[in-house]
Amino acid sequence: MNYNWDWSILVSEPYMGWLLQGFGWTIAVSSAAWLIAFTLGSTLGIMRTTESRLLRWIGTGYVELFRNVPLLVQFFLWFFVFPEILPDDASRWVKREMPLPAFTTAVVALGLYTASRVCEQVRSGIEAIGPGQRAAGKAMGFSEPQIYRYVLLPVGYRIIIPPLTSEFLTVFKNSSLALTIGVIELTAATRQIEEYTFQGFEAFTAATVIYSVITFAVMGAMRVVERRTRVPGTVALGAK
Amino acid sequence: MIVLDKVSKRYGDFQVLTDCSTQVARSEVVVVCGPSGSGKSTLIKTVNGLEPFQGGTITVDGIDVGDPKTDLTRLRARIGMVFQNFELFPHMSVVQNIRVAQIKVLKRPEAEAHQKALALLDRVGLGEQAEKFPSQLSGGQQQRVAIARALAMDPIAMLFDEPTSALDPEMINEVLDVMQELAAEGMTMMVVTHEMGFARRVADRVIFMDEGRIVEDAETDQFFGTPRSDRAQLFLSKILHH
Ligand SMILES: Nc1ncnc2c1ncn2[C@@H]1O[C@H](COP(=O)(O)OP(=O)(O)OP(=O)(O)O)[C@@H](O)[C@H]1O
Ligand SMILES: [Mg+2]
Repeated sequence: MNYNWDWSILVSEPYMGWLLQGFGWTIAVSSAAWLIAFTLGSTLGIMRTTESRLLRWIGTGYVELFRNVPLLVQFFLWFFVFPEILPDDASRWVKREMPLPAFTTAVVALGLYTASRVCEQVRSGIEAIGPGQRAAGKAMGFSEPQIYRYVLLPVGYRIIIPPLTSEFLTVFKNSSLALTIGVIELTAATRQIEEYTFQGFEAFTAATVIYSVITFAVMGAMRVVERRTRVPGTVALGAK
Repeated sequence: MIVLDKVSKRYGDFQVLTDCSTQVARSEVVVVCGPSGSGKSTLIKTVNGLEPFQGGTITVDGIDVGDPKTDLTRLRARIGMVFQNFELFPHMSVVQNIRVAQIKVLKRPEAEAHQKALALLDRVGLGEQAEKFPSQLSGGQQQRVAIARALAMDPIAMLFDEPTSALDPEMINEVLDVMQELAAEGMTMMVVTHEMGFARRVADRVIFMDEGRIVEDAETDQFFGTPRSDRAQLFLSKILHH
């Protein structure tokens, strides 16, 4: 193979700037999407375990809808189709005035999709606890919100720290789909560098390293979280 | 104090309770026994509204449990319940377990709740274990904490659902002793148990259930002397001779 390796492009402008900016967008899209996914997903997950049939039904419907449509399709639907079906005023605002349209759409699409996955994790965490704890909470006079706040969620979240970590990491990987609607995140920046310099191997190596660093950082952080929240005298609550 | 009048309950087509009527007077101790699946747990859980029921009425301290307008949350805060599997909150220390509902439900000041928790732990013989977590205690100790947790709410009555069935034999007595003391102090108690020694010593009355019906409801002496129903006799002979 006749390939001229040139690692120096990675530290020369404007390519280094592109990489850093791409990294920045990846972090921005992923964290904003995770914020939506975690709050909405937790709410839906809780809804699926409540005693209200309506709330459970809403949660189930949401999951079925968002988990079964491919994420890429969802990106396109939000970006191209959704603005068209809005009422005139809203449609005009989304198309013309909404700040950072590609970024915002990517965050919403990725956030809503991931919420359906977080929902299922939260639900499984709560269900793993068993009905006795809920009965005990009730018997103490806790209201249903209090049962969640003081009894079910503190244990349920501890149980699902490992799968939630992997959902969080998946968000970073899935954020690369944002390039399809024009967000120049890390993967897009890498492709751009390749197109300008033909040094694709270096650029993709850099991207791979950066994604790996994110993974290790997140896993390290979550290990600290897991240690800090560990209940004395137990290996892991999930093992119960 | 507790009055059940023709209480019936179904799970779909399956009739779990049929016309169950009984009463527990203030300071009375009533033991509920009967074969597995006879509806003992279900019956005791209807008393504080943990299990809904379709027919009949239950009143506790004059409050109608089955009335949709009744604030069940408030009623439950006044009735203590102890479960077979303890159901302590695993992520809270022993003292937190006893404090939490005092603070969040009864709105007691934290310091007061803490003092009360420590006093109750002393009382059940676990003064040294306040800062431990449930998983660091033996089953007998956990059950005593669970009793302390229920007592912290100053309950008007206590419900026990097989409080010693999940315990190793050598731990059963430490829990029964606490319950016996409680009875001696005049607590109103409804106890599902197969511990017939405890029933004989502590209970004022014994209820025998079979297939969702209260088959026998008698003074303790009478129940152990000459149970009227064949079923109760058979049950007793099985449980006492092994
Ligand atoms: N959620 C439920 N759905 C359907 N049937 C149930 C449910 N809970 C209990 N049952 C049935 O109701 C009957 C009474 O159950 P219950 O737990 O009250 O019995 P029990 O006397 O406490 O038995 P044990 O001594 O085994 O604890 C049983 O036949 C049981 O299978
Ligand atoms: Mg039972």
